[in-house]
Amino acid sequence: MKRGTVCFIALLLILTSAAAVFAQGQQAVETRPAGPVTIDFWTTETQSDRMATIQVLIDTFSALNPDITVNLVPVDENSLVTQAQTAYAAKSLPAIFEGPAETAVSFGTQGIVDVATTTKLIEKIGKDRFYAGPLKVLETTSKGSYYALPYHGWIQGIWYRSDWFEKAGLNPPTTWDDILKAAKYFYKPELNQYGILVGTLPEAYAEQCFTPIAMSNGAALFDADKNLVFNSPEMKEAVEFYAELAKYNPPGPQTWRARDYYLQGKMAMFFYSTYIMDDLALQEAAMGSLTGDNFKDLAGADFDPDLVGKTRVASIVTNTSSAGYGTVVALGLFDQGDPAKTAAAQKFLEYLYTPNAYITFLHMAPGGMNPMLKEIATNARFQNDPVGIFKRYGTEKMAEIIDGLENIETFSIVGGNRIEAASEITAKQIIPQMLYKITQENVSVSNAMAWAEAKMKKLTD
Amino acid sequence: MRELKIRKPTLPHDPPPIALAGMNARALREQRFGWALVSPSVFIILALILYPVVYNIYLSFFEFKLTGDNIFVGLRNYVGVITDSEFHLAIRSTLVYVFFSTVGTTLLGLGVALVMNKKFPLRGFVRSLILLPYVAPVISVVFSWQFIFDPVNGIFMDVFHNKLGLFAERFSLIGSPDTAIWVAILFGIWKNFPFTYLMILSRLQAIDETLYEAAEVDGASGWQKFKSITLPEVYFVVSALILLRVIWNFNKFEEVYLLTSNVKVLSVYTYLKAFTGTMDLGQGSTLAVLQFVILIGFILFYVKKVLKW
Repeated sequence: MKRGTVCFIALLLILTSAAAVFAQGQQAVETRPAGPVTIDFWTTETQSDRMATIQVLIDTFSALNPDITVNLVPVDENSLVTQAQTAYAAKSLPAIFEGPAETAVSFGTQGIVDVATTTKLIEKIGKDRFYAGPLKVLETTSKGSYYALPYHGWIQGIWYRSDWFEKAGLNPPTTWDDILKAAKYFYKPELNQYGILVGTLPEAYAEQCFTPIAMSNGAALFDADKNLVFNSPEMKEAVEFYAELAKYNPPGPQTWRARDYYLQGKMAMFFYSTYIMDDLALQEAAMGSLTGDNFKDLAGADFDPDLVGKTRVASIVTNTSSAGYGTVVALGLFDQGDPAKTAAAQKFLEYLYTPNAYITFLHMAPGGMNPMLKEIATNARFQNDPVGIFKRYGTEKMAEIIDGLENIETFSIVGGNRIEAASEITAKQIIPQMLYKITQENVSVSNAMAWAEAKMKKLTD
Repeated sequence: MRELKIRKPTLPHDPPPIALAGMNARALREQRFGWALVSPSVFIILALILYPVVYNIYLSFFEFKLTGDNIFVGLRNYVGVITDSEFHLAIRSTLVYVFFSTVGTTLLGLGVALVMNKKFPLRGFVRSLILLPYVAPVISVVFSWQFIFDPVNGIFMDVFHNKLGLFAERFSLIGSPDTAIWVAILFGIWKNFPFTYLMILSRLQAIDETLYEAAEVDGASGWQKFKSITLPEVYFVVSALILLRVIWNFNKFEEVYLLTSNVKVLSVYTYLKAFTGTMDLGQGSTLAVLQFVILIGFILFYVKKVLKW
């Protein structure tokens, strides 16, 4: 009996070590430059329907390239950096990742992406075919090299109730004065109705709302010589204006989720990306929200099926200058140290830029995912999206939105130069924290700005 | 002449002398075999518990780099954390959270256990119903609470502002930094009191009824019976429950973070420091070490003074 148990344990040990040897052998096979190659593709499109669409694209690619196997791995956008860190430590970084441009840049500055192959690939696809703005966002400090390839992007704007504005005789919310005037006018808390939604919770959304306001006042984080110029009169004005707007927010710290209040007819304006388009246009998307239809006893209006017709967007904010805001989602190549894997990844990326594959990908979220190649924007198949967003909004309006991608601006590009420290400041969410202190903890603007400046200096030193 | 043999008297429990050496060898073999059997578990415990703890302490002396070239910084992380005003705030929030949620959980648990120890119709059903908050998944109850306290659509504001007019204006109880911690405490008490209740109830059921009968004969009042019989009987259970609750709530992350997101107790602060933004894993590890040291200090004090072990 005892001998039997000892034999069993010994057998287990032998088997596990044999498995380890076998696994090493497999690794050795995988690192061989010739023959079948398996690469991982990390995507931030984690919803199951989007995963299914990407899988169809991968299956098509595999049919054309039987030697290459692509494993699709969903990674939440908020944990992308953490996952990459652990994968790096375990030497198992995927060949390809899809994620926000600022994250791609931060990977680039850490030296873990394959800049040479990326740049070669952009040149192969054709630099002129890309919108210039998004390419700029992904450029390294040395011109003409890139950290990642821009793949899709969204534009932010102020979405507003045009019918309310017309009735009240107010101008569309494009200038500081008009935005504030309308926010004040529609703020009727006694009727459970609010003027505007700007981010006040310390999350990325607050910075997304704040950036075009600061930029439209000529405020920046850095000058062209990379000196921190955050604590400027222009920035102070912008922060004060933002804090003033936040007074007409729904109560408490708010983030993008409060867009539901707009769908319920309880808000006049809100900052949001073009991802809102299908929620506005599709009744069932909005019906899933907390409308008066679902909760009869709550104060507020029912869902309005004509809301899309009564909604317009102002994508540019103007004060001393004009500014827009948007985000580029990029495809990047992690350094693999294995030419076979890099070649396979390159081939797969080239395939993703072919019109059919590209349009299929973008149609996962019409309006939200906009192309980075100019010719795709005017492609008839792209404009004939499955949910009919283009038909509803009209191709002209859509072209205007997509063209906005050309003018994407961020704090990390000054005078055409990339400032990596600005990406770090965005990643650390210093500005959202500052805005939270001012709007929720009643810290004075100058004190909060001094706090933010000290944090920024600590990061940049 | 016959040799006189003096034999040591054998007691019934003494092993026969001849078998002794054989037994020793067997016991040794048994012992070795025992070690062989537990060694996989020991290895797993070392790998999964001891290694992360040691590595965490090691990391707290380094500036962690994504590229793996960690820089030794000595005590700089510790100085940085201890002189950071946000760390002081986190300590304060943690103390407030742990103190009130522990007191609340214990008192409510004790009170409900006392009531549930009395006989009344449908007692079994009510007893199991009380366990509901404890067994419900955190994420689903968090969403319900967020919906209840939503300033625009929530039922709380609808009742207290719209219908009863108790508040002059709508406000976000769960979002405002002044009130959020109290909502988190209330949530913690509501979610966790059933565990305390269950433990105390089982102890209450084991108290000898004759003690109460004797006290009644002596003319003791209800309060006197509670003070002199019930309380001493449940003292060690309650003390142990308080110790566990303090340990659990000191490290509590998911309930606080999911519900309020702006109450920075130590565990939330550590997470934000280590895993968000530019990710300062060195300082994050330092915070974890400090949290560990504070907790161990408390446990040693409590075990010596309160549990008197």
